[in-house]
Amino acid sequence: MTKLNPDNINVILATDCGSTTTKAILIEKVDGHYRQTFRGEAPTTVEEPAADVTIGVVNAVTEVGELAGRRLVDDDGHIIRPTSNGDGCDIYISTSSAGGGLQMMVAGVVREMTAASAKRAALGAGAIVMDVIASNDRRLPHQQIQRIRELRPDMILVSGGTDGGNATKVVEIAELIAPAKPQPRFGSEYRMPLIYAGNKDAAPLVEKVFDDSVELSVVPNLRPVLERENLGPARDAIHDLFLEHVMAHAPGYNKLIEWTDAPIMPTPGAVGNILQTIAERQGINAVGVDIGGATTDVFSVFNGTFNRTVSANLGMSYSISNVCAEAAMPNILRWVHIDMDERELRNRVKNKMIRPTTIPQTLDALVFEQAIAREALRLAYKQHKEFATTLKGVQQQRTVGDTFSQELGGQTIVDNMQLDLLVGSGGVLSHAPRMQQTAAMLIDAFQPEGITMLAKDSIFMMPHLGVLSQVHPQAALEVFERDCLVYLGTCIAPKGAGKSGKPCLSYQISGGSLNESGELAFGDLKLFPLAPEETASVTLEPSRGFDVGAGAGKPLTADVKGGTVGLILDGRGRPLAPPTNAAECREAVTSWIGELDLYP
Amino acid sequence: MQHAQAEKEQPMVRRPILAFMLVFPLVSSATSVLADPPRPPANLVASDAKGDVGKKVDLSWDLSPDDTAEAKPRRVIAYHLFRKEAGEAEFAKLKGEPTYQSTSFTDENCERGKQYLYRIRAVAPGNELSTAVETTEAVIPEMEYFVFSRVWYGIILLAVCGSVTFFIEVARSGRELKIRKIAGLEAIDEAVGRATEMGRPCLFVPGILDINDIQTIAGLTVLSHVAQVAAEYDAQIEVPTCRSLVMATARETVESSYLAAGRPDAYNEDNIYYVTDEQFGYVASVTGTMVREEPAACFYMGAFFAESLILAETGNSIGAIQVAGTAMPSQLPFFVAACDYTLIGEEFFAASAYLSGEPHQLGSLKGQDVGKVIGVTLLLIGCLMATLYSVTGNETIGTLVSFLTNNVLGGGGFLP
Repeated sequence: MTKLNPDNINVILATDCGSTTTKAILIEKVDGHYRQTFRGEAPTTVEEPAADVTIGVVNAVTEVGELAGRRLVDDDGHIIRPTSNGDGCDIYISTSSAGGGLQMMVAGVVREMTAASAKRAALGAGAIVMDVIASNDRRLPHQQIQRIRELRPDMILVSGGTDGGNATKVVEIAELIAPAKPQPRFGSEYRMPLIYAGNKDAAPLVEKVFDDSVELSVVPNLRPVLERENLGPARDAIHDLFLEHVMAHAPGYNKLIEWTDAPIMPTPGAVGNILQTIAERQGINAVGVDIGGATTDVFSVFNGTFNRTVSANLGMSYSISNVCAEAAMPNILRWVHIDMDERELRNRVKNKMIRPTTIPQTLDALVFEQAIAREALRLAYKQHKEFATTLKGVQQQRTVGDTFSQELGGQTIVDNMQLDLLVGSGGVLSHAPRMQQTAAMLIDAFQPEGITMLAKDSIFMMPHLGVLSQVHPQAALEVFERDCLVYLGTCIAPKGAGKSGKPCLSYQISGGSLNESGELAFGDLKLFPLAPEETASVTLEPSRGFDVGAGAGKPLTADVKGGTVGLILDGRGRPLAPPTNAAECREAVTSWIGELDLYP
Repeated sequence: MQHAQAEKEQPMVRRPILAFMLVFPLVSSATSVLADPPRPPANLVASDAKGDVGKKVDLSWDLSPDDTAEAKPRRVIAYHLFRKEAGEAEFAKLKGEPTYQSTSFTDENCERGKQYLYRIRAVAPGNELSTAVETTEAVIPEMEYFVFSRVWYGIILLAVCGSVTFFIEVARSGRELKIRKIAGLEAIDEAVGRATEMGRPCLFVPGILDINDIQTIAGLTVLSHVAQVAAEYDAQIEVPTCRSLVMATARETVESSYLAAGRPDAYNEDNIYYVTDEQFGYVASVTGTMVREEPAACFYMGAFFAESLILAETGNSIGAIQVAGTAMPSQLPFFVAACDYTLIGEEFFAASAYLSGEPHQLGSLKGQDVGKVIGVTLLLIGCLMATLYSVTGNETIGTLVSFLTNNVLGGGGFLP
């Protein structure tokens, strides 16, 4: 990989090797700005009979080349670099989640402390965490060993103890892993990569425990003191080992690694990267979600702290049954405004599970699928909130004023009132027939409070931009803002609860094509058209007990951006609670659907 | 009969009146009328008071003919009541004098089963006494099945006990009883976890009073949970005590916690030790231990006095997570300011139910809450009505306030 001068980069080729398809995009400098110009797609070829990921990459890139009228692959099947005579590209980058992505097992001393930090490090690096071993996980040692034997992770991350702290327990964990001899997923000659990121004093002792069957890497402690996390070194080590070991043993990846100008990243890790970069550059708090067939990834950046969770059993095809089981049918059906036979719906769910690629063919099916998506997203976000917390085990500073308001450590840092940008991606969100449907699903599931911008990543370009942000942050940022996101609009939702029909907010909107004022009743939704390029100034005066971001009952003036949907005033209250009575609920949902023009 | 004094016969009273008439023979006829003793009251009736434990006799009579509302000046200013047991020679005066226009009185100092006879005289402004009127039949105070004056107490007691029983049954049936989260108790796992990660011990101080103090017992209940968590996390727990009996109890408590956690092998009784009965000798030893061993978690659960701030500040300075619990109001501000979490009074005593989650304890906790709600509600209603009465002067409200104060709240009610 040669180091390139960012100023000389004009054409960027990026691929994302997913489990089923390999997506390629072309980014070019147009009128001094980086723009995503063409995209292509081809089946991923990591499995037999091809068993070479580069074949799928070449196919996808060739499609892009044909669309762009630019030769990107030479006769030998290599990507042409650098550009010359209108052919080739300046850099080529890639992400990968093929073969199930990066699967890891993590371990720590206390489940809520070092083990939780290890999990955060692994998830942040884009891994799927298969299990967390901790000394207080209420499993006996033989059960823990049995579990480690059963798992076939790509990598193991061991943490535990602060620097100078507990060494005994850390060595005990190592002594559980060593005799279990966990087997990797790929290749028998492959040595299991194990990262040790615990008490530095215990590192020599841990080294003694493992033999040659393990590729041990010692990195700085991810919890040097309980008051601070240092996840960077562990995440970097995960990325390095992912390339050196996991990718190198996957079919065709050694070739792909040579082709790329930046290290191949796990897809979710790259998505996290771009979200972090955007939040940092724009000084905003952002949440991103990618709802897939089997899993749902939620990313968040609040006050500079990045968190990612993978809800392994929440998805729209393979995991759809689990969503129905976890959410329960009444919760799903509360979002449905038409008569449906529950027995038929259950059949539909099972059909979707065994034929995951089917898409809704009727209005009923679409309404039902989007209702399930709302619940899947809601549950995934709930799990995310529970995971994205302040650190536990930290000493608190109090004053006498805290007598009756002593809060525990480990409170969630996810605050919907502070949320500025909510980005959705994944089939059910990206390919919804109407933009309003995407916006409605995001609002109903995430329940943003105050003023929140809604967007979707229509062609799931965020992974590509995540890797690009490491090589050329400016290009990544420009493409993200101009081409990656489809801005749906802004949602204004007062927080609080009231009586249905009573005013909860008075508003005045001016700017763009809008000049509106009035009152929003509790339980109502209002949609004002505001085009993507337009902004409007809103003056909001919430009723007593309602908050739009300035405090309960306090007025707020702000500029809001438009989008393909427009400006949505959501007076349904937070937390959002549709009426419990079925008839009333259906009536309310019907009126919301009518107001947003969700379905024909 | 300490409240009574023996009655002297009439000549003693008449003598000064006669002398007065001899010294001033020319006084007007009106004056001579005033000096005459008033006419006696009539129909004195004594009966056993209803709804008591046999200590009261109700007396009633007809007013003296001279005791009229219009009389100016008054011919009768009070009535003197006398009592004697059947068979005794002399009457003794009862404490308390019904004023003019009174026709009833309750003698509250009787003994159950004895026979009493009563006498009444009207009293003139010059202390002249009317002739006596007596009861002819002895009255015997007897105990009733129901003490009506304690009816409200009974109602409130029934409500509280009923709710305790109800909530116990609810908890037993498996329904979840909502108990407010108590941060101090939730933080125990976090504090012990910190000690585990840092490889340092946990310190538990069970106060400086002996085992007969309820706060020490509550503290040991919390110790039981802390020790169990420490056993599960394999963290070391140290308990210095100020009383030998507390040490013995603490040892038993910790040992059974380790056993419950399945780690009896990890129990070390030497970590639970007696220091001294002297308050500051004990404090010096504990703070010394804290500075030397730097425990990562400190728990102060029990009765504390001046040492509270010394202990909490030392713990704060070594960077420990500190959880305190006490019912000493004067020490609470120190703990709140210097500790991470503080259990305040009731929270401390509720710890046992909160931590164990046993139906009996949880039901009892909820039932007691009902009692507190009743008490606070009555007090608020009382305050509101008393304020209204003082502002409006409405007699109906005044009557209600008086009823609430004397019957429901005070007297035989909520605060007997």
